[in-house]
Amino acid sequence: MNSNAQNPMTNGSAAISALQADDVEATLRLIARLPAPAGLEDRVEAALRSRPRTASVLSWPIAVEPGSNWMRAAAAAAIVFVVAGGGWGIYSHVQQPQAARVIVMPQHLAAPGGFSSAGAMRTPQTLNGPVLAKPVAAPPLQAVQAVQAKPSRKAPAPVRPVQPAAASKVTAQPAK
Amino acid sequence: MSASQAILAGWMEIPSSAVNDQVRTQAEDETLSALVGQYAGTLYRVAFSVLRNPADAEDAVQEAFMRVLRHRDTLGEVRDQRVWLIRIVWNIVLDRKRRAKTRPETDDVAELARVLPSGGLSAEEIASAAQHHAHVLACVDQLPAKERQVLMLSAFEELTSVEIATVLGITESSVRSRLFRARNLMADLLNHARSLR
Repeated sequence: MNSNAQNPMTNGSAAISALQADDVEATLRLIARLPAPAGLEDRVEAALRSRPRTASVLSWPIAVEPGSNWMRAAAAAAIVFVVAGGGWGIYSHVQQPQAARVIVMPQHLAAPGGFSSAGAMRTPQTLNGPVLAKPVAAPPLQAVQAVQAKPSRKAPAPVRPVQPAAASKVTAQPAK
Repeated sequence: MSASQAILAGWMEIPSSAVNDQVRTQAEDETLSALVGQYAGTLYRVAFSVLRNPADAEDAVQEAFMRVLRHRDTLGEVRDQRVWLIRIVWNIVLDRKRRAKTRPETDDVAELARVLPSGGLSAEEIASAAQHHAHVLACVDQLPAKERQVLMLSAFEELTSVEIATVLGITESSVRSRLFRARNLMADLLNHARSLR
């Protein structure tokens, strides 16, 4: 109050501001009170009716409520499973090239005061040919020949020759 | 009746869930129709206060009810349907206003002269009043967005400061402080405009 009495300009400008504020609010209220056009409700309802609805042609054999949470959870789990499986499939098929393995060889130090290698370098052994675990012994030559000479059919046994010693024994028996 | 006919009859029978859906859809349609009849006018005026074009405002109202139709499952959870609807249409018109190109002021004057009630005024008086209102609205458009929104919503007598706060998603004290700031800024803008004349 004191400030307004001491400064009449302030009071005057406040009055002008109040008038202007009223002016602004009057305009805004005039706009806000404008009536809606006739038939607006009918047009809105017609637009709502003409909107295509999601019709279900086939019904599920089981009763699936629109708000059933377990169905949504199952669908979400299936989607996650498919996405994760696909990602893992791609990851497992596309592998990054592995870095070459480097074998660090121990540095050869000459024995102090001992024999030197005279600059010879050890070379790794190359791969040998296939080695049989059990070497097969070659059959003797005579046996091979005997098999070759043997006839296919069994031959009659040869007649043993009478030994001369036995014959002499028979002949030497005294007559009784 | 053979076994195959019995199976076919079982498949062709309308399931009980479909009947429930139909009943529910019908109930939702009736609720929506009631909302349209009750609040379409309010939503139109809110939309027109921002867009200032009858066709755009009507489109905004239709879009708002389309959104309601899309989320009709949650309609029962809404506590205050009027404020909820105003908030929907408010967001729609702000989005449209943001995307629309700036129109010349003469369009606003002509539109206002066409829309404003004549009240027995002559054509010259109507044109003069429309020009005055268009000038005031142009000054309102120069306000910062936060202050402008509160000022425009406060012009609706059916909206309390609590409801304005709900529509804008702010506190009631913020509404009051922004309204105070908006009035001061408007006074400055109008003074500046008058000094230039």
